[in-house]
Amino acid sequence: MFAKYGIFFYIYEMNIVDVSTDELIPIEILPVEKTDYKFISKNRYFFNWKEEQNQEVLKLIIKGKNDILGLISYEDIPEEWRFHIRLLTVSKENKGANRKYSKIAGNLIVYLAKLAIRKYGIMGCVSLRPKTQIAQHYIKNYKMKITGMTLSLEVPEILDLINQYENE
Amino acid sequence: MNKKSEEYIDFGVDSRYSTIEEKTSDAVILMQARLERMKNLPKEQIIRTKLIQLKLEMDEFLKQGTLGLSHKFSDFLGKYIDILYTKHAYFSKDLNITPVFLSQIINGHRLASEEFLLKLTVHSEKTFETVCFFNKNTWFQIFYQEKINQLIFRQDEWRSEIEKQVKFSELV
Repeated sequence: MFAKYGIFFYIYEMNIVDVSTDELIPIEILPVEKTDYKFISKNRYFFNWKEEQNQEVLKLIIKGKNDILGLISYEDIPEEWRFHIRLLTVSKENKGANRKYSKIAGNLIVYLAKLAIRKYGIMGCVSLRPKTQIAQHYIKNYKMKITGMTLSLEVPEILDLINQYENE
Repeated sequence: MNKKSEEYIDFGVDSRYSTIEEKTSDAVILMQARLERMKNLPKEQIIRTKLIQLKLEMDEFLKQGTLGLSHKFSDFLGKYIDILYTKHAYFSKDLNITPVFLSQIINGHRLASEEFLLKLTVHSEKTFETVCFFNKNTWFQIFYQEKINQLIFRQDEWRSEIEKQVKFSELV
């Protein structure tokens, strides 16, 4: 669960789960670089990510590897103390019952939740506006609240989600 | 939910606003609802949030490493006390130190002693126990990271005097 930094620096480490072995695999979440877009195809990542090049976009990779397993783009809206998710996806081989790794999307949402709490404290919020009937999935799995067409993660549920991922 | 929509869930979501009007009207409705919910938030949840926020700030400082000459240890210490106590004097009493000693550390006029760091660590372990994961080495890491940063970024101040004192009598 913990990564080692230097001699005595230990910091919480993020993990995904190898579905076939239940093994925890350490991951990193980093900003997408311009050169990454060459490898981010609609075929493997479901959306046209090149449309998001002017937005904040993060990638999830296994530590020490380059292959992108998940992507999230978001907008920081300071006047509303909230981070709005624009696009979120896992790579093609991590979709469905035969996926290789689980918790990819969850780690990306939790990463944003931490940014929101770190920056906005008690008012920190992560929002989502699903266009289809998938809202129930996010309400059930991430305890999001529904307000009109918007789903949101707020205190205290946002803290529970952060803790859940730090303790697993 | 049918099979097709379940598969859609699996790969992600397109949550972009279609129009400015949609974004604006959603923002108004959401903000009203959030403020209403916030009114009913118990005090312990507010303290819990502030502690987790502080922990995330400290984690980020350590992750970034050498970042300049900020007095992060005293900043974080001041925040920690303000979250939990109405007066700094109460905290100093709990740690069995004088208010003057604490004040000097917070104002950067004195370095934290090893004993103070140990007391602060024990206090934080207990505080964070039911809040979130908190690494017991955190305060030590912050303290020494700040010292490292100061040594690196204050080279202009110490280098010339130190270089005068260092000899190389058997330099190969």
